[in-house]
Amino acid sequence: MTDSAKHLGSALQDFLDGRLDPARQVEVQAHLEACPQCRGELEALRWVRDIALKKLPGEELPPALAERVATTLDAVDQHARPAASPILGRRWRRWAAAGALVTAALILLLSWPPSPDLADAVANDFTAYSSGALDLDLRSSDGEAVESLFAAGGIEFRTRVFDLGMMQYQLAGGRIHHLRNRPSVLFAYRGPEGRNLICQMYEGQLTELPRPDEVREHDGITFKVYRAGRLTLVFWQEGAVVCVLASDAESEAVIQLAYAKAVKV
Amino acid sequence: MSPEETPEDGSKRELFEATAIPFMRALHNTALRLTHDPQDAADLVQETFLRAYRTFASFTPGSNCKAWLFTILYSIFVNQYHQAKRRPRMESVEELEERFHHFVQAPGDPASDITTVEGWGWRWSPEVERALRQLPEDFRVPLLLVDVEGLSYEEAASVLRCPVGTVGSRLYRGRMALFAMLQDYANQAGYGKGSEPDQ
Repeated sequence: MTDSAKHLGSALQDFLDGRLDPARQVEVQAHLEACPQCRGELEALRWVRDIALKKLPGEELPPALAERVATTLDAVDQHARPAASPILGRRWRRWAAAGALVTAALILLLSWPPSPDLADAVANDFTAYSSGALDLDLRSSDGEAVESLFAAGGIEFRTRVFDLGMMQYQLAGGRIHHLRNRPSVLFAYRGPEGRNLICQMYEGQLTELPRPDEVREHDGITFKVYRAGRLTLVFWQEGAVVCVLASDAESEAVIQLAYAKAVKV
Repeated sequence: MSPEETPEDGSKRELFEATAIPFMRALHNTALRLTHDPQDAADLVQETFLRAYRTFASFTPGSNCKAWLFTILYSIFVNQYHQAKRRPRMESVEELEERFHHFVQAPGDPASDITTVEGWGWRWSPEVERALRQLPEDFRVPLLLVDVEGLSYEEAASVLRCPVGTVGSRLYRGRMALFAMLQDYANQAGYGKGSEPDQ
């Protein structure tokens, strides 16, 4: 069998990419001089590497991307700072607690008599998010990063971004939001069969809500359930904060998610 | 400087911005070629920088930051986008390899010469991007890392968490398959047997 009959195969690529030892390099070079097929194959590989791909043009960066990344880094920095000083951290929490009390009192005053349309507002937010009209400030599956976003955005009440991985809901990200003119946090999940689930938290009282379709009690916590078409909303109270889950998933499944995550305060 | 702003924090951000942020465009281009969706690509890049910044202490100064960032990006892609966004293959790699060998088998081929590519002028066509998109992911990603982004075989193996030999064989098969898909384009542009290089 001649050298040219024994084609080089992947050794051609090693030759092209300079990954052969000098002795083998010389052997391959000698083979190439006698073998048009291997020369052709080498040329084809070289064309892909040096022509087709080497000068592949790139897209321009979207103008907002650098800003999004900077905001994300800011959120991480903001989150890291209180932890860097335990004393300052304690002070910061005391100030935050005092601020939360004042804010809660103001909200209570401003929102009296009870606002009847908070449930509608959450339902509208769910629809807007699902249709793409309501964007997230941070898209991330990292709950700590989303909480950092809320802290960096000046949210003073306690927020808890739930880990719903066990229930097959993956965090999609969060946004600093307003629910009927009061600050809220909104975070969203993607669940089985592409179902969306959003959670909102805001300072307020369950008593501000309109009459629910159903009231449930579970582990000493009251849940107000609203249904609109395929959408289910479940509200409950945690201290000064109202939490709500909204989803078009099966209604009982949404309620069970709320049961799993609600904490009696 | 406030007590909250330690020198370590400030230098970490500055170092990160000087070391990692310059690769944003390279990451974004690869993210686009992985996800085929501008929104997903932007999300992937944002998440990559978030994780990179939070684990920046684990980055060894002086090592290849670009390869480190691609390792993070690819890991997120595999975990979050890969299964949901996998696309159907247009043609098997085996079929493409067969076409490649058919093309390069050259009885009496007078023009295949080792200098051919050097005389070939560059001109880009969307054909290349389209062919790359159709290439199965196992073969596309090594091409993106090594041929487009200039990572070494060893760095690409680290990104893909596979042996260096696997990178080499996937690169080889990916290059053959890409060429097979682009034969017509290459021929039209003057490359190939019995034709003069494009000027």
